[in-house]
Amino acid sequence: MNSKSLAGMISAISVQMTENRDYLIELDQVNGDGDLGISMDDGYRAAAGFLAEAGEKDLGKLIMACGKVFNASAPSSLGTITTFGFMGMAKALKGKEEASFEEAALAMLAGVENIMAKAECKVGEKTFVDALYPGVQALVEYAGDPAAAVTKAAAAAAAGSEATRQMRAVHGRAAYSAERSIGILDGGSVVGALIFKGIAEYCKGRK
Amino acid sequence: MKKIINSADSFVQDTMEGIICAYGDKVKLLNDDFRVLLSDYPAKAGKVGIVTAGGSGHLPVFLGYVGSGMLDGCAVGDVFASPASDKMVDMIRACDRGSGVLCLYGNYNGDKFNFRMACEEVEFDDIETETVLVRDDVASSPKENADKRRGVAGMVYAFKIAGAAADKMLNLQEVAAVTAKALDNIRSMGVALSPCIVPKAGKPTFSIAEDEIEVGMGIHGEAGIEVRKMMTADEIAETLVTTILKDLPLVSGDEVSVMVNGLGATPMEEQLIVYRKVYQILADRGVKIVMPHIGEYATSMEMAGLSVTIFKLDGELKELLQAPAQTPFYTNANK
Repeated sequence: MNSKSLAGMISAISVQMTENRDYLIELDQVNGDGDLGISMDDGYRAAAGFLAEAGEKDLGKLIMACGKVFNASAPSSLGTITTFGFMGMAKALKGKEEASFEEAALAMLAGVENIMAKAECKVGEKTFVDALYPGVQALVEYAGDPAAAVTKAAAAAAAGSEATRQMRAVHGRAAYSAERSIGILDGGSVVGALIFKGIAEYCKGRK
Repeated sequence: MKKIINSADSFVQDTMEGIICAYGDKVKLLNDDFRVLLSDYPAKAGKVGIVTAGGSGHLPVFLGYVGSGMLDGCAVGDVFASPASDKMVDMIRACDRGSGVLCLYGNYNGDKFNFRMACEEVEFDDIETETVLVRDDVASSPKENADKRRGVAGMVYAFKIAGAAADKMLNLQEVAAVTAKALDNIRSMGVALSPCIVPKAGKPTFSIAEDEIEVGMGIHGEAGIEVRKMMTADEIAETLVTTILKDLPLVSGDEVSVMVNGLGATPMEEQLIVYRKVYQILADRGVKIVMPHIGEYATSMEMAGLSVTIFKLDGELKELLQAPAQTPFYTNANK
């Protein structure tokens, strides 16, 4: 991964968010405030726009700046949480202009771990992390075969998101109606699944 | 709503301009940004920076403690709202003298998220930070969940200890450790008689009957432990001290500092009547009071009520408490 492929990947994720904007709004309206689709679409669009123009080659500095752009354009709680992810990745890639698939996967794992630490959440609490964590685990596990890794990661993230239906919410506004949240798909986890879908689409397109 | 303001929207900026008009020779804005206040007192080269941040509406908390021997900087939010993380980033950078920065603030989600993000960002540029959270309000969560407690007036003591430790040229980890030790020995609890009005909201934060008192209320009007019929000053002092001592046991011979803090609309006379009883209860137990603090230290605009804070001292903490400190809003020279 370098600054160019990073820009391509974020742009592919942005396409997913735009296509699913209304769906995400609908999901969030069930037990959130309905801004999920708007903030994710705006955030990734701004991040993709920033990366397309940015001259920075150091992946760490680039991703750190990208996280700030994202946060400014997506001022919701998931926007802030996503920025913790970018920041964790940025630290892991500081000083590198080029990262191997495995290095990029491990950086993404560092990003997800940073989210879990800073937002004080773990797998099984009906959040974004329920899709992200299995997705990034698959990326790391199959890093020897990038094409297989991105496909498996997308599938693992989608399955992780689907599993949130059976979970009880412990965070955010959804937790106010924790019992009622059972049976409902978590919108944040759908965002997580779309991130890996975007990454897989990007990698498929490059082959 | 009856308030002496120009408009709800200009409330914070107008306040900050007032501070600069009055005390511009002691404190300054960072690059003319009214969201970041920095100390302009002389400070030792290479000392650890001490910073905080929080919403407006609590003066002298938070920015009133920016000065000599306390805070180096404070980021300022809207009334009862955290400032944005990029303001904290600017502040931390401005307060780093190469030895790192202690971020010392109340346990509120908005402040926590934004500060964590700011620390991530400056650490990326190799500025070292440590975080210590203030969680002194015993009424906000039971002892088993003490990590969920809110930060209230006890943070003033924490600012004092951290500032004095930094002035002694302790390193960042040492400053953080002694500040955390101080907070382990600081407990507060308050009562409220009337609500306050957030300018932009324009209506009271809660309602309470004329003959009632809310026991254990937070400084943003968060619900307390119970609503009771109005009590006498002595009964209030007993209720607060008894609850605090369950959490922070004291024995004969212990030394403490005590703060009786007015929430904004309670007269000094009433604060002193409560202090009198707190003094008697502690004296009966053989506990000695060092440097009592009576006055308005952490307010909630025009809320009526007060809080009591007890800070149990050891030799090190007593020395740090007594070290000189001066800000536009605070001095310990008269205590």
